[in-house]
Amino acid sequence: MAPALDDLRALVTAYAAQALAAIRQSFADRTNFALQVGAMAVNNGFWLVLWFLFFAGFKEVGGWRLPDVARLLGIVYVLFGASGVFFGGYRDLAGSILTGAIDALLTQPKPILLRLLARDSIPSAWGDIATGLVILAFSAGLDPAAAGLSLAAILIGTAAWLATTTIFASLAFWAAGARSLSRDLADFTLLVSTYPASIYSGWTKFVAFTVLPAGFVAMAPVELVRAPSWQAAAIAVGGAGAYAAVALGVWTLGLARYRRGAAVAG
Amino acid sequence: MRSTPPFIRRLSDGAGAAGAAYRAGLAAALAQTPVLLGRAVFYGVCLMVLITFWDKVAAHRLPGTLAARLPAGGLGTYVGVTEWVTLSVPAVHFKLEDDIRAGALEPHLLRPKSYLAQTLAGQAGFMTARLVMLGAAGLLLLALFARTWPSVPTMGAVFTLGVTGAAIGLLLLTLVGLTAFWLRRVLPPMLIVQKLAFLLGGLFAPIAFYPGWLYRLAWFSPFGAHLAFAGAAIIGPPSWTGFATMLALQSFWLAALTALAVLVWRAGLRKTLREGV
Amino acid sequence: MNPAVRLKELRKTYRFAKARRGLLGSLAGLLHPQFTHLEAVGGVSFEIAAGERVAIIGPNGAGKSTTLKMLCGVLEPSGGEASVLGFTPWKERRRLAYEIGVVFGQRSQLWTELPVRDSFALLRRVYDQPEDAFARRQGDLVERFGVGALLDQPVNRLSLGQRMRCEIVAALLHAPKLLFLDEPTIGLDVTAKAAIRDFIREQSQAEGQTVLLTSHDTRDIELVCERVIVINAGRIVLDEPTEQLRRYIARKLVTLQSAAPQLALDLPGVTRRPSEPHTTILEIDTRATRVDAVIARALALGGIEDVTVEDPPMEEVVHEIYAALHP
Repeated sequence: MAPALDDLRALVTAYAAQALAAIRQSFADRTNFALQVGAMAVNNGFWLVLWFLFFAGFKEVGGWRLPDVARLLGIVYVLFGASGVFFGGYRDLAGSILTGAIDALLTQPKPILLRLLARDSIPSAWGDIATGLVILAFSAGLDPAAAGLSLAAILIGTAAWLATTTIFASLAFWAAGARSLSRDLADFTLLVSTYPASIYSGWTKFVAFTVLPAGFVAMAPVELVRAPSWQAAAIAVGGAGAYAAVALGVWTLGLARYRRGAAVAG
Repeated sequence: MRSTPPFIRRLSDGAGAAGAAYRAGLAAALAQTPVLLGRAVFYGVCLMVLITFWDKVAAHRLPGTLAARLPAGGLGTYVGVTEWVTLSVPAVHFKLEDDIRAGALEPHLLRPKSYLAQTLAGQAGFMTARLVMLGAAGLLLLALFARTWPSVPTMGAVFTLGVTGAAIGLLLLTLVGLTAFWLRRVLPPMLIVQKLAFLLGGLFAPIAFYPGWLYRLAWFSPFGAHLAFAGAAIIGPPSWTGFATMLALQSFWLAALTALAVLVWRAGLRKTLREGV
Repeated sequence: MNPAVRLKELRKTYRFAKARRGLLGSLAGLLHPQFTHLEAVGGVSFEIAAGERVAIIGPNGAGKSTTLKMLCGVLEPSGGEASVLGFTPWKERRRLAYEIGVVFGQRSQLWTELPVRDSFALLRRVYDQPEDAFARRQGDLVERFGVGALLDQPVNRLSLGQRMRCEIVAALLHAPKLLFLDEPTIGLDVTAKAAIRDFIREQSQAEGQTVLLTSHDTRDIELVCERVIVINAGRIVLDEPTEQLRRYIARKLVTLQSAAPQLALDLPGVTRRPSEPHTTILEIDTRATRVDAVIARALALGGIEDVTVEDPPMEEVVHEIYAALHP
């Protein structure tokens, strides 16, 4: 048991060192950093205003009211921001594969995926975290139970989001044109994630829980906060876990293919 | 030929060059068919979410809310139109930023035709390809989402107001791009203009649903002319006077924004010629 | 006959707002900006006759590109006069534009997604050329530059050398009197470079175009231009026929890796540069000794493992010229 624990500690240390370096790098140009964070906060605030206008006129959509949407946006912004700050490499993971950035990492002992995710930190993601936290504080208040559930939802959603984008990026192992495609798919998933879960039914719900799994990035985790139950928890954790397993599987397969290709080419 | 006044000749030469740039832009867009198709898929996903959303709202018409005023078929065709216009406008601001900031302006300044006119013409060609492609995709998607197509006169009105609205959108983004003469990045002004277009243009919902003061603000702003008019035409086919009013307002904004773009361009060019890039 | 280009005491001074430290400092800077002045070009005068091929060289930041920008009309000078083909460039930029052709080696002027022919057709409209005369001229140029087979290919499928030939044809389509080439051979392989140089020289000789060229490659200058103007620190430090500069330009650096720690190679016009053991760096004056003769002699010694032949970097050439002038 002890060696496994040591491995884990080494892994976490290596990740933390890389992520910290990336974050400090993103602070380097302070004007640019402030501008990006500010622009993102204004951007997110704008969506909230639009929703406010909508609910002022329509009261609800499929049982969801303004506080529900606010909670959804709060959780999605924070998980999206946390992914960008601490695992910012996900945004152009396909690019890292296609431009050969993994070649150097292949020669090093630590797991590649974690290193790649940690090698970039997106400045504007801090704006997402900030707006998300403000929205959550206003909508959920400072009730410790709600805060705990929200934190759980954010962690589960982050895992599902990183798993999803890793699957999309892994397409680059098979198709050279996957760089913009993987980014588009991620954007589509995000788009689906920012609308009330109650609107999807039939084939749109099927899409939201399969190809563009907003269902596991946002809907299931948010449902856990909206109506906590063991069943809701099982769906959220199970979904994120399943996608994480698929992501690791696809990534490993792709990497094996890459190595074979590299061996032939070399 | 000899007897043509120089002014007329210059104008026709300028139009000839702009026409050639327009054709080149159109051809360049058509040469990248996968990119155009990707745009159509994006359009499809946006419509999927927004149509699902508005159908849900329409399904439970809560008494005492705006839902009572929703058109019979919901807002599916409405967002189909506003997204069609929005997604057809090319990212001219990033091209301008690239050219102005990376010193790519010089080769163009060494030519006898206006860079601004040539660029706008090329981007208009690009936009034409998108309008046609996304227009076709829109009709297909509406059929897929089981919407009835509007009548031919309505389509004519929507087409006219939509194409003019897209041209206004192109000019708005051109103004954003021209700020690159003074700003290092055009992204911040772009985000502001884009969000104003979403809100005041009524991208997601007709501006008629807004409170009175906001409605009037939107109607008389360039953002209303950009998106809301074409959207309004599809919900309630306009009367001839209504159509003419909207077209007149659009023409005004087209002229005003063009004049503004020329002024800003000249100011930026003067700065560049004096201070270098 | 009037010179094609005439500059008299042309000057350019840039003004920068001084950056101050801290938030308060930058606020104060907005309210009361303090300026520093930088003299990029400090009084440059020269004349270029019609049909002359002239290289303008200098280290980066020497004022070379500032001078050229003023000469084309894309930058206003702070003082002095200039006349290019009878126009004052910064006052008559558009009219001058009809008379000059421009090639930027690092920046394509062609539409990358479209066939070469389409970009040419666009340029016909940009320069208001009558259709039949244009077609004849395009036919001539296409034949001279050997790009007939490329006309229907999209630009992004051409090799760099093919693309550069098309760029030069594009710049010549409106029959300019002055051709301005900025790093026309950058990034090309040796064969493509040689072809481009021949084309430019032959073209200018055939039509009497004035050529202004900047390059970091000494061979471009040596093989294309008859005259060299060296600019450093905003001033002309040298203006001589290329022939006079051969002793600076006509040089090669040959680096030999050998099994023996030292090589004994003594030939006229060959000097040895300091180097590590097993490496011998020779500077060859190609007017005195040919490169192949040096290499043949080295191979005859035996035990040679590697040979590289390079041109000395332009910075070094300019520095030496400068040092020779100001001992």
